[in-house]
Amino acid sequence: MQAALVWLVPISACVALVFAWKFYHQMIAEDEGTETMKRIAGHVKAGARAYLMQQYKVVGGVFLVMMLLFLWLAYGLHVQNGWVPFAFVTGGLFSGLAGWFGMKTATQASARAAKAASNSLNHGLRVAFRSGAVMGLVVVGLGLLDISVWYAVLNIFVDNEGPEKLIIITTTMLTFGMGASLQALFARVGGGIFTKAADVGADLVGKVEAGIPEDDPRNPATIADNVGDNVGDVAGMGADLYESYCGSILATAALGAGAFAGTDQQAAAVVAPMLIGALGSLLSIVGVLSVRTKEGANMKELMGALNKGIHLASVGIIIVSFIILKLLGLENAAGLWGSIVVGLLTGIGIGYATEIYTSHAYKPTQRIAEMTKTGPATVIIGGMGEGLLSVAWPVLLVVIGTLLAYGFAAGDWSFSPDTMSQGLYGIGIAAVGMLSTLGITLATDAYGPIADNAGGNAEMSGLPPEVRQRTDALDALGNTTAATGKGFAIGSAALTALALLASYVEELKIALRHLKPERLEVVLQQLNIDSMEAVEKANLTDFMNYFEVNLMNPKVLLGVFLGAMMSFVFCGLTMNAVGRAAGKMVDEVRRQFREITGIMEGKAEPDYAQCVQISTMAAQHEMLLPSCLAVIVPVGVGLLLGVPGVFGLLAGALASGFCLAVMMANSGGAWDNAKKYIEEGHLGGKGSAAHKAAVIGDTVGDPFKDTSGPSINILIKLMTMVSIVTAGLNVSYTLF
Amino acid sequence: MKQYLYLSLIPESLIGSQLPPEEFGNYYAVGTRKRTRGQAIFFEVERFESDYFDWSELERHCVAHPDGKPKRSAYMGIYRVLEHVPLSALKKLYLVTDDGRVLGLDRAEFKPEPISQYHLYQELCPVTPRVVSKLDPPEFCKSLTDRSKTVSVDKLVFTELTLNRLSRDPESNDVGDLPYPNLGHLRDCLREIEGKDGKMNKQVTRSLTGEVLFRTIKNGFFAGNGEDFVYFPMPSHDELAREHHEWWRSALSTFGE
Repeated sequence: MQAALVWLVPISACVALVFAWKFYHQMIAEDEGTETMKRIAGHVKAGARAYLMQQYKVVGGVFLVMMLLFLWLAYGLHVQNGWVPFAFVTGGLFSGLAGWFGMKTATQASARAAKAASNSLNHGLRVAFRSGAVMGLVVVGLGLLDISVWYAVLNIFVDNEGPEKLIIITTTMLTFGMGASLQALFARVGGGIFTKAADVGADLVGKVEAGIPEDDPRNPATIADNVGDNVGDVAGMGADLYESYCGSILATAALGAGAFAGTDQQAAAVVAPMLIGALGSLLSIVGVLSVRTKEGANMKELMGALNKGIHLASVGIIIVSFIILKLLGLENAAGLWGSIVVGLLTGIGIGYATEIYTSHAYKPTQRIAEMTKTGPATVIIGGMGEGLLSVAWPVLLVVIGTLLAYGFAAGDWSFSPDTMSQGLYGIGIAAVGMLSTLGITLATDAYGPIADNAGGNAEMSGLPPEVRQRTDALDALGNTTAATGKGFAIGSAALTALALLASYVEELKIALRHLKPERLEVVLQQLNIDSMEAVEKANLTDFMNYFEVNLMNPKVLLGVFLGAMMSFVFCGLTMNAVGRAAGKMVDEVRRQFREITGIMEGKAEPDYAQCVQISTMAAQHEMLLPSCLAVIVPVGVGLLLGVPGVFGLLAGALASGFCLAVMMANSGGAWDNAKKYIEEGHLGGKGSAAHKAAVIGDTVGDPFKDTSGPSINILIKLMTMVSIVTAGLNVSYTLF
Repeated sequence: MKQYLYLSLIPESLIGSQLPPEEFGNYYAVGTRKRTRGQAIFFEVERFESDYFDWSELERHCVAHPDGKPKRSAYMGIYRVLEHVPLSALKKLYLVTDDGRVLGLDRAEFKPEPISQYHLYQELCPVTPRVVSKLDPPEFCKSLTDRSKTVSVDKLVFTELTLNRLSRDPESNDVGDLPYPNLGHLRDCLREIEGKDGKMNKQVTRSLTGEVLFRTIKNGFFAGNGEDFVYFPMPSHDELAREHHEWWRSALSTFGE
């Protein structure tokens, strides 16, 4: 039964990819509209392609250097698994492919969604949403395919027998997550810098200096702004969640292989997260197909249409995951099912908490809006204050969710070392549960920028007012889903990072096994371990004792401080990067207004490509330092402070990074929606002093919510992944 | 090449140009390159008999450039211009947003709105205070252009701004999207004309410090001199969104005071 069930994973991957292909072709078959619509969409497509090609060139170079480094570590120093260099590359490649397909679809879809909205609201929604679903399904399809292929390949090539085989397979597979993580960080940081440089630049000169409305073709940066929506919110978000999705499945499989080693449950525990992911992808397709709305639907009804699809998939996964756990013959199937449900509910809870703190239907954002009456300073203070407060609920939800997932999976609440591995496995499977319906949740995220671009296209093409009303309604819906999507991404990143942190211990065990005998002897002596047999029998608590991972060890505390510092330094670097890149954009837009006669009369077309180029180059240049720092620091801390230092670093980065990411995303979202609240006619409405103050708050919040905040998700996962991959180096070489 | 004559209200000036109104409005707001920016409100004016303006200057200066490009602007006067332009010479009124979108308004007959008790007027030329008043537009115009009074002008161009519920009840909390700064002061001014018998007008601000938010225009623009009174109605917001979408979007992007 189990062997047969495993086939569900590659089959689901293929089904997801086939549906992605089908949705893509359905979208391509739609009318792209007038020549003007095609021309505008063409500019965005060309800009997005140019950006991705440039980014992949830079990332390709970094990947080449990293691969050579891993080859040396694996085959020169023998401190690393020999599969790592190749698994690393495929992880990055598949993540890059997901971003490429997602963005290609999104840029093709905008004009078609605008044209479809000419027919009806439902038609516009269907084109935009199903195009977003391409991204969701490509991400889960490629993720599951990569996992399936590596699982099959390693099953053939790993010679070990017994429980060791699955431990080696799963810990090896886990390392491919680093390729996905690194690619995701570049996509998120680069995309985030690009989009906000373009957005802030377009706003500062276009709106503030020139008085041009948003999405006006006379603004040279307006195409770059539209491209930015795609590279940031489609490719960036897709790569981020691809990494979380694969990371959670692989970490849970590795934890399962370790926790159930030596029992007949081991294989079932390894394939369970993969199967839940597989079934989730199928249910996501059902959910996507169920999304539709009636003509003239209001915001609540549009939201209801999307929620119907998500809820259908969520309820479905609750039911089928119980069946699958039973079919796998897992002893504590009910407990593990409880962990999955907890994961799903935690995700929903975080999404709801995000909505409360960022939607102007609720008090926190309305309070910020009220503060506009006293000027921009109080708006900034209010936004920061509400953002800081907003950290409480997601953290409490993750704490409660983690506790419950641990307890349900461990089967008791004693926190005994004997059941710790099972408990940690529960945390992992909760993360898998949260991400199992990623196919549809990511579709709602990717739908946002498509609807936004469709609105921009409708506006720039001068489509009739009733069409623009429809695209505006679709865009407004996208703004709501974008904020909750960010909350979901952060929540899933936190839970995934927890699972990865737990699996780091498994990697340490494997790393010890890979050491050359003479080096192993030295290391075992340093750790006061009698023999390798003791290592094989050791549980997680024993490992913590071997490496002296406790709060009384100053190396742990130093690591905690360094980890907390990393989140802030990373944010600072990315925020400043946006400031500098936006400055370059401002100069370019001013230059074009100065040198190209006839832009303002609409007689001459601005040089859109130059603005795209400026954002692209700035993003590539600025993303390197923060991204490299995320790779270098865990290695450096490992070499300096060893395993305890790395544990401290990861814990510090996870705790501070999670809080900071929530705060930044929610502050930014709340500032944005406080502005929209005023634009809807409250507190003086458009053009008032309150509106001016709100616009300043929104501009400050732009890099908060779209660059620094979301990038921290990946920072914490990438640092954990780097530590996992370099675990061999950590146990072999350390200064203190 | 045809010559046009424009009466700009902010700042007050009479300008000759070879550009038709839409092109002139765009040029006047943003310049030939994007180095200037500013809202504009102007009338197209028919040539009229005048001792005050020297039309020969117009013939001399308002001619095409040697390369054949039209003359964009030739200033005929910048001081006491409005009072020397007859109301009968005023053709269409043009409202230009600060990024150069132009909307033309035609003359129409004014029909007073019976339900408004209080009015908020923004004077545009020759002086620019904002005033609350119990007088309807024709009466307000007559009052301000009554030269027997100490405080008066020869001719006046002004617009009525929306007060929402405050136009009937100065104490109303339902101010909605009124964008005016210091609403408390506006209420005080309304209370003052509400409470004092015989006090018809009260100045709210001494001059226009920012740009006119076109979305706050209640019914249109008025120009008058005693009994002579012309009215240029503003289309409704729905009509603006439907028929003049680009202008309306641009107008909504403007920040006021």
